[in-house]
Amino acid sequence: MTGTIRRSPARTGPAPRARRASRFALLVAALLAAVVAATWLAVSIGAVPVALSQAWGIVADRLVPGVVPRTWTPVQEQIVWEFRLPRALLALLVGAGLAVVGAVLQALVRNPLADPFLLGVSSGASFGAVCVLVLGASALGGLSLSAAAFAGSLLALGLVYALAQRSGRLTPSRLVLAGVALAYLFQAAYSFVLQLAQSGRAAQQVLFWLMGSLGGARWHVLPVPAAVLAAGVTYLLLQHRPLNALAAGEETAASLGVNVSRFRLTLFVLTSLLVGVLVATSGAIAFVGLIVPHAARLLVGADHRRVLPVTALLGAVFLQLVDVAARTVNAPQELALSIVTALFGVPFFLWLLRRRSADRAVSVL
Amino acid sequence: MRLDLRGVSVTLDGSPIVREAGLEVGEGEFAGLVGPNGCGKSTLLRAVYRALRPTAGLVAVDGDDLHRLPARRAARRVAVMAQEIPADLDFTVAEIVLMGRTPYRADAAADERRCARALDRVGLAGAAERVFATLSGGEKQRALLARALVQETRLLLLDEPTSHLDVRHQLELLHLVRELGTELGIATLAVLHDLNQAAAFCDRLYVMNAGRVVAGGPPAQVLTPELISEVYGVRAVRRTQLVFERLREER
Repeated sequence: MTGTIRRSPARTGPAPRARRASRFALLVAALLAAVVAATWLAVSIGAVPVALSQAWGIVADRLVPGVVPRTWTPVQEQIVWEFRLPRALLALLVGAGLAVVGAVLQALVRNPLADPFLLGVSSGASFGAVCVLVLGASALGGLSLSAAAFAGSLLALGLVYALAQRSGRLTPSRLVLAGVALAYLFQAAYSFVLQLAQSGRAAQQVLFWLMGSLGGARWHVLPVPAAVLAAGVTYLLLQHRPLNALAAGEETAASLGVNVSRFRLTLFVLTSLLVGVLVATSGAIAFVGLIVPHAARLLVGADHRRVLPVTALLGAVFLQLVDVAARTVNAPQELALSIVTALFGVPFFLWLLRRRSADRAVSVL
Repeated sequence: MRLDLRGVSVTLDGSPIVREAGLEVGEGEFAGLVGPNGCGKSTLLRAVYRALRPTAGLVAVDGDDLHRLPARRAARRVAVMAQEIPADLDFTVAEIVLMGRTPYRADAAADERRCARALDRVGLAGAAERVFATLSGGEKQRALLARALVQETRLLLLDEPTSHLDVRHQLELLHLVRELGTELGIATLAVLHDLNQAAAFCDRLYVMNAGRVVAGGPPAQVLTPELISEVYGVRAVRRTQLVFERLREER
């Protein structure tokens, strides 16, 4: 059919594709530079001052011993290498991961207001974490906090799937309803456990954890979220066309050759696992997954081939800066990350809501 | 390319919606499917573009069972223009149209050319970078038609392509589809609402009632006052149809 469509040949002129491609490459390069800059900043800033050049030297010396002259103290080295750098890297992973999950869920349930905590997985993770914090690890067979959080997220994942599926098929509306219902159930469950606890310290610890913190970052925490994120993002990038088709509608996707029920199930499991792993390391950090994908779409449009990488990089930079702010604004006290993200997130959310209801007269809720 | 449906039945949530429906559409033919609301015509169409799986029967394109082909290969044979609205994520017209290439290997430059050609063909050449959601109803329909065109199938399904359009845009769209069908040898099966339009545009017309295909053939033979009163429960007069047929001959 290609050759037979008559009438004027394709318009040439300034090729919009080439222009868009070079703009996109430029944007990705700029974001990569921003990731490096924000991380560099993050390892320098803190209670013990470390100059930017010293921070750079410490990392370089660790990677290639003796490559730069030592201008720093052993204490500085320990702080940068053992605490700040793993924390900064975890911030990148968590920010990128939550943002990508948000972008995928917005396509999966076809609602621009979807976020990673929509499907009840984070409430399940929080339930697991609260159990460990309040009842103690021994009550749960010696599970660590993050293992318990992950177990909770798997429990929620299984329950949401059991409620939302009908003969193996998932529909967006049932998925959302089951997720919201279970989120309430798990919230009630961990509130109950908290009330039982009656210990002020445990309750405060739990509250802090629920609102997100990267304070637990050490090198040994990083490999699992890094591997899951790398695998997940690679798969999603390969599937950007089915993702676009799914965002255009279930029947459209089916008519375009996408096996809709299988693809949807894969996305559901993948995003839930990612959220489970991330929440287990850093608690429930709100708004990143909601606002970052929209910011990315404002920059590059809706095509997931461009949205996914930009979302990941933007999320990484955003959470890095949020964590720097959380550590410095009220030092030596740390703010919970959700407090800082809400400061940016809520105004953006309201703006999004207003823009959509004004421009389109489309109800999104 | 020809489409054959034999004894197709579709059951949804335990209730039979389509019962043993059979019809055929030949190479380059424009076939219409009409019937009262709830008669199962859209459901039957869904079973052809694989949004649903028939509980019994055969949906064959050139003799191959469409539901046994791998999903991507099936999507290279059948394209649909339906009423589904994309999620509110600011897709541009070009992005919507390029989705039609999903069942093929990506080739950015060639796909871009196909997209530009299809948009030109449906009269949306200048609209490629506009946000789909901001288009008018008629423009949206034409953009979705362009997506079906870049899918490069020889069978095109239309699910009520003219709903939400005013009468001028209805006629324009149907003319365009007919033209494309003749030009590119595409077989078309369209669910239509308006009997007068169906009579005017279709080479072949099928009438469904209560899940069954109750009549099929050239419109003039099928749309008898008796059949219309039986299926729709209204009294029909032939005059309107003749007016449209004259219009068609004048083209």
